[in-house]
Amino acid sequence: MKYILMMAGTKAGVDTYKAWSSQDIGAHFAFLHRLNQELTESGEFVSTQPLARPEEAKIVRAGNDGAPITDGVFPEAKEFLLGYWIVDVESPERAYQIAARLSAGPGPGGVPTNMPIEVRQIMTGRGEELVADGPGARLEGRSK
Amino acid sequence: MKYMLLMTGTKADFQAYAQWPKQDLQANIAFMRAFSKELKDAGVFVATEGLAFPDQAKMVRAGQDAEPITDGVFPESKEFLAGYWIIDVEGPEEAYKIAARLSAAPGSGTMRGSMPIEVRQVMSGAPEESRR
Repeated sequence: MKYILMMAGTKAGVDTYKAWSSQDIGAHFAFLHRLNQELTESGEFVSTQPLARPEEAKIVRAGNDGAPITDGVFPEAKEFLLGYWIVDVESPERAYQIAARLSAGPGPGGVPTNMPIEVRQIMTGRGEELVADGPGARLEGRSK
Repeated sequence: MKYMLLMTGTKADFQAYAQWPKQDLQANIAFMRAFSKELKDAGVFVATEGLAFPDQAKMVRAGQDAEPITDGVFPESKEFLAGYWIIDVEGPEEAYKIAARLSAAPGSGTMRGSMPIEVRQVMSGAPEESRR
């Protein structure tokens, strides 16, 4: 079963992160690197991606002519995805365990960040007809 | 440059999706399939995933003993990720154009036309210092 573990935060939250000392940031990255290695060794690692800062985020809609209309203004409370991990595990409980590990990652002074991690099952590829069709697969899975 | 196109919705949006007439749902799915294929043919496709409905979503934190504490209660306004595409394109303008195509996916009822798509650069392969 594939699960996505998502780390999200507001712009204000990201600003707090930017104020971390280089030592604390280094410790946090070392932790993430070790965790990625562990998940790779256990065969549970699928992928991970960090996203660019929320300041660069855009909402895009199609205009009447199909051309993109972009908007970069967001409510202050908006939660931006900062990065994610996809893991392939035996059970949801195992996904929650890995999420708890992420949540316990070191913050300033080595104190665990205790960041909330959203855990969601991935539907793509769950059925033979659903391979690599992305969000459409989710809808189809539901409509059966 | 890699960009992630994110489709999100509230629980109410997901519930509305689930109620779409079969015909509208099929048209939407056919569009999504053709869209992914088009991205593959254009050589810009990297990845796509569809996520489970938010009724199974959990927020997880580490407890004192590092054991997971899970919570499944969310504010009504919470935007849940429905799915995403990662594309590898020349620049942001190309990413916005592709996002606009996705935005114009066929809908149903009140959920017709110009769905908002969040576009974010993916930093993998960038130097460690500039990550996140």
